[in-house]
Amino acid sequence: MSQSSSQPNRLAQGGRVDRTRKLTFTFNGKRYTGHPGDTLASALLANGVDVVNRSFKYSRPRGIVAAGAEEPNAVVQLGASEAAQVPNVRATQQALYDGLEARSTNGWPNVQRDLMGSVGKLGGSFMPPGFYYKTFMAPASMWMTYEKYIRKSAGLGRSPVESDPDIYDHLNQHCDVLVIGAGPAGLSAALAAAYSGARVILCDEQETMGGSLLDSRETLDDAEATRWADAVIDELASLDNVTLLARTTANGYHDHNFVTLHERRTEHLADVAPRVDGRRQSRSRLHRVRAAQVVLATGAHERPLVYANNDVPGNLLAGAVSTYIRRYGVAPGQKLVLSTSNDHGYRAALDWHEAGREVVAIADARDNPDGEWVEQARAAGIRIITGSAVIEAKGDKRVSAARVARIDIDGFRVAGKAEELACDTIASSGGYSPVVHLSSHTGTRPVWRDDILGFVPGDVTGLTPAGGAHGVYALDAVLEDGVAAGNRAAEAGGFPAASVNLPRASAHRESPAVALYQVPHEKPTLRAPKQFVDLQNDVTAAGIDVATREGFESIEHVKRYTAMGFGTDQGKLGNINGMAIAARCLGQTIPETGTTVFRPNYTPVTFGAIVGRHCRELFDPERYTALHQWHVEHGAEFEDVGQWKRPWYFPRTVNGKKESMHEAVARECLAVRQGVGILDASTLGKIDIQGPDAREFLGRIYTNKWAKLAPGRVRYGLMCKDDGMLMDDGTTSCLGDNHFLMTTTTGGAAGVLEWLEIWHQTEWPELEVYFNSVTDHWATMTVTGPEARQLLAEITDIDLDKEAFKFMDWKEGNVAGVPARVFRISFTGELAFEINVQANYAMHVWKTLFEHGEKYDLTPYGTETMHVLRAEKGLIIVGQDTDGSVTPEDLGMYWAIGYDKPFPWIGKRALSRPDTRRVDRKQLVGLRPHDPGVVLEEGAQIVFDPEQSIPMTMVGHVTSSYYSPVLDSGFALAVVKGGHHRMGETVYLPMVDGKVHAAEIVSTVFYDPKGERQHV
Amino acid sequence: MSDVRMFDSRPATAVDAESPLAVSNLAERARRSAADPGVTLRERAFLGHLILRGGAIVLDEAVREVLGVSLPARPGALVHDADGERSIQWLSPDEWLLIVPEGEAYTLEKRLRDALGDAHFAIVDVSGGQTLVELSGPRAREVLMKSTPYDVHPRHFPAGKGVTTTFAKATAIVRRPDEELWELVLRRSFADYCYRWLVDAGEEYGLAVEESGR
Repeated sequence: MSQSSSQPNRLAQGGRVDRTRKLTFTFNGKRYTGHPGDTLASALLANGVDVVNRSFKYSRPRGIVAAGAEEPNAVVQLGASEAAQVPNVRATQQALYDGLEARSTNGWPNVQRDLMGSVGKLGGSFMPPGFYYKTFMAPASMWMTYEKYIRKSAGLGRSPVESDPDIYDHLNQHCDVLVIGAGPAGLSAALAAAYSGARVILCDEQETMGGSLLDSRETLDDAEATRWADAVIDELASLDNVTLLARTTANGYHDHNFVTLHERRTEHLADVAPRVDGRRQSRSRLHRVRAAQVVLATGAHERPLVYANNDVPGNLLAGAVSTYIRRYGVAPGQKLVLSTSNDHGYRAALDWHEAGREVVAIADARDNPDGEWVEQARAAGIRIITGSAVIEAKGDKRVSAARVARIDIDGFRVAGKAEELACDTIASSGGYSPVVHLSSHTGTRPVWRDDILGFVPGDVTGLTPAGGAHGVYALDAVLEDGVAAGNRAAEAGGFPAASVNLPRASAHRESPAVALYQVPHEKPTLRAPKQFVDLQNDVTAAGIDVATREGFESIEHVKRYTAMGFGTDQGKLGNINGMAIAARCLGQTIPETGTTVFRPNYTPVTFGAIVGRHCRELFDPERYTALHQWHVEHGAEFEDVGQWKRPWYFPRTVNGKKESMHEAVARECLAVRQGVGILDASTLGKIDIQGPDAREFLGRIYTNKWAKLAPGRVRYGLMCKDDGMLMDDGTTSCLGDNHFLMTTTTGGAAGVLEWLEIWHQTEWPELEVYFNSVTDHWATMTVTGPEARQLLAEITDIDLDKEAFKFMDWKEGNVAGVPARVFRISFTGELAFEINVQANYAMHVWKTLFEHGEKYDLTPYGTETMHVLRAEKGLIIVGQDTDGSVTPEDLGMYWAIGYDKPFPWIGKRALSRPDTRRVDRKQLVGLRPHDPGVVLEEGAQIVFDPEQSIPMTMVGHVTSSYYSPVLDSGFALAVVKGGHHRMGETVYLPMVDGKVHAAEIVSTVFYDPKGERQHV
Repeated sequence: MSDVRMFDSRPATAVDAESPLAVSNLAERARRSAADPGVTLRERAFLGHLILRGGAIVLDEAVREVLGVSLPARPGALVHDADGERSIQWLSPDEWLLIVPEGEAYTLEKRLRDALGDAHFAIVDVSGGQTLVELSGPRAREVLMKSTPYDVHPRHFPAGKGVTTTFAKATAIVRRPDEELWELVLRRSFADYCYRWLVDAGEEYGLAVEESGR
């Protein structure tokens, strides 16, 4: 056959590529061409690119080994621009597109000649297993330096440093049967399940569905197997109970059949997702599948044989050679030597021969192979050397010869003189390993089967393996196994089994395989040239041998000591060989040795797909009050309180200069103390409580008394957990004898409602009471300051007279024409009215207040001013002045504790424990710094004796601390051991910078101690 | 139940009202609607929303008397009255959501209270605390699949069903009043977040926003 000059290894015909169209791409900066239908790997092979990477540890040149997900070497960095960089892409899984740009992830500064090369060339004694642990871990302080260079030269791919231009998303899927893999087993399983009526999802990681049928020598109904595959895919696509997902890898198999699928939606088109009709589409998508049943039809990975220098470019899996020839029309060399332990390997030689290339010889480890494909090879005149294997490859950046020798498998020795055969390609096959990775994600260990020389999935509830993954390899049996699995899964979901007309598969006689993993060499393993087990992690047979000699007997320890099966590879190609070698070294069987755990993800998933659309402005919900837009328009700085956006302060611009936070807060504070301010308090939790037992319930939940609170009145209450520690506080109003409105802290709203429900539903279901959240229904505006009454009076029909509307009363009426409930409660210590209206009308009321408030210089204030004002009055904030270890007594709130209530309230008993009765508990006090210019740091530790040597005895800490504009000094709230009995004493606060502040313990109420201002 | 303070939160004379999505600038979105939309969003603002709590046996007769429909007792059931304007949805074993045309909530609450007399129940007006958004169009279900882990396949989510579930990182009530329409009941403070999520998730299908009629 002739070959294209620009693609020396491209065959003139055959394969599923479109030779009429050319695609241009670059690899490591060099331009090449390929065709639609190519993967990056097949195009590189077509162009005769031998070295695609440098190895992880030894920096040896590496070429393409496989044709699928198990490829260990051809791991590339993709992306033409910085923002589009994607690391860890397997060239074997990346469809070629015009303009593709890829680089080797490994091998800085370049794959042909690199820095680590000199290290690797020194050989095995320089970097034995455990090398990194032993060499670079000491001194520990240097590790960061070592790591930087090791990582850079070892190259694990790199993240882009620019923001990703693409979007990603998640799709929640549900189905009766999820079929993973669309080869012959998966297709027939999907057909059976679909015909049964079940909701079916069929996913496959490759560009085209069909799996092994895409490069099979076998026929179905006397036609190319792909004809049947194409027909079945069309059939499935026409059924509305079937979802087909190509380019979709099942990456993680989690508990309860929750499976994550990674669909690469545009990766085959460009490195940035193209727009469709001008609209963005997600580059890749994570399907979160809840499957009642899963059919695992993931096939089997061919095992390479482990022989000396088996990592030199030109060493390939036998099946990969067939795939490149039959599917991509690429013969990756001129002269082939095949080393095999089974009949399947012969396909590579037959395909190679039929492609017009020279098969130098087949080394078959068996003495008397006589299967049908063996006979075909003989008939084609191919030399077959039985009882033999390739024991060593020759060559540096490409195979130049294979050394073939007779071997004694049981004696693990070379039994004859080696013959050196010139060749440029060595294909090897050691049999198949079912792809059990996904089933292992569940924690289930795979089970060894001697008859197929491989591990099959262990029992997982709701999982049925089929075909190659089930250890079934003959095509006709695979199809039947698929139908059985599909039916079994469907029947488990209550669907009737369906009959499927299966095509007739061409049967062929097969001779039994022999168990061969590591091929013996003339020299013992430790002295032979490197025999690689895990190519991605540079783990050799000698490394495993050393590990077992050094006492690592558990396969999990061997794994960690050697790094076998680590990282993105997850042991696809090498793990079974590694276990077999460890077993031999330890003198035990493979099942006794066991497997390591395969972990998610099966192949790497980009962070984008994991994140989906939970990023940027949708990273977390932002909760807005009904007045949010006004706050934005009036320049508010916002503070996050839980998920709420609350105005923090409203800086004004004075003489062209924006106020600092300090300036704005000082101005806002004085406005409230001297004129009138307004706060959006809508975020406070509000719970409507109805029922004849509402009052009784409140008495059990709150520490204080509720029996006599009359309609029209409001009371402040404290809520404890059962350990006696304060959990929330707020006011509750009696709306009617059987009707209350509870308010909670902003952050505590959901937790308090849940708390009420738990106690009602589990402890006191006999109490007739219902709780409903009305937080979002009401908007709350706090008008406060000496002029609050005058302002509000202008727009309400409620009688605001101090005798008619007393402190801790609430009234109904209209405010700005809107029905309102107004509560005369104060969190500032000033005259205050909390106006509640239905949220849809809040903006109207708020704006009307400002229209009328202009002459009072009505000042909007935020949470920071609120904090200063309440602290000046000694009013606590739960979660700031308390931390879950503070009782109401610690806060000095004896007035809010009803020890004599008839029914015990939550937390009461805990308050009689010796620990809660201690007199030296940390108690809430005020602190006045000796230097009024000092604002103590919140969280600063307090000591009694500043001269004590370190470690000092810490006796408390500052919980709240601010500058008070009205006092013109700093002040603080703090918890101090026995603080209630230490009024007037001086405490000390040693700071990080060496300064020690002194402060006097004072009352928590710094302003208007008699509380006259709120009663005016 | 007596001794409960009813409150008509609607002003006697019209004042400017702002729905929970007022902040989201629907008008601007509407102008940028796709020509051939795969999904269409429309807020139905200012409807009356009432939460009804009580035992099913206690409530059923009153609901039939006042609304002319039986109380849906099956979990997740959603029923409409004869002219389709009023709906009642099972939320939890002792909790239902009533959604009625603008201005009807207070009268409805009063009639239900009269009918229920001294029984143990609760009715709470939450009209200001939530809003209803309709999703329609051939790709509406896919937008929901991007948004909620709940199974919205027709086999699992037929017309006449509604559930309270996770929506993006918030919570929403998802309802399917008929084959062609999905409804989301969004809590006021989360409404803009959910709306922005929907707009983002719907973009690839071509998204249209219809301005709310009252």
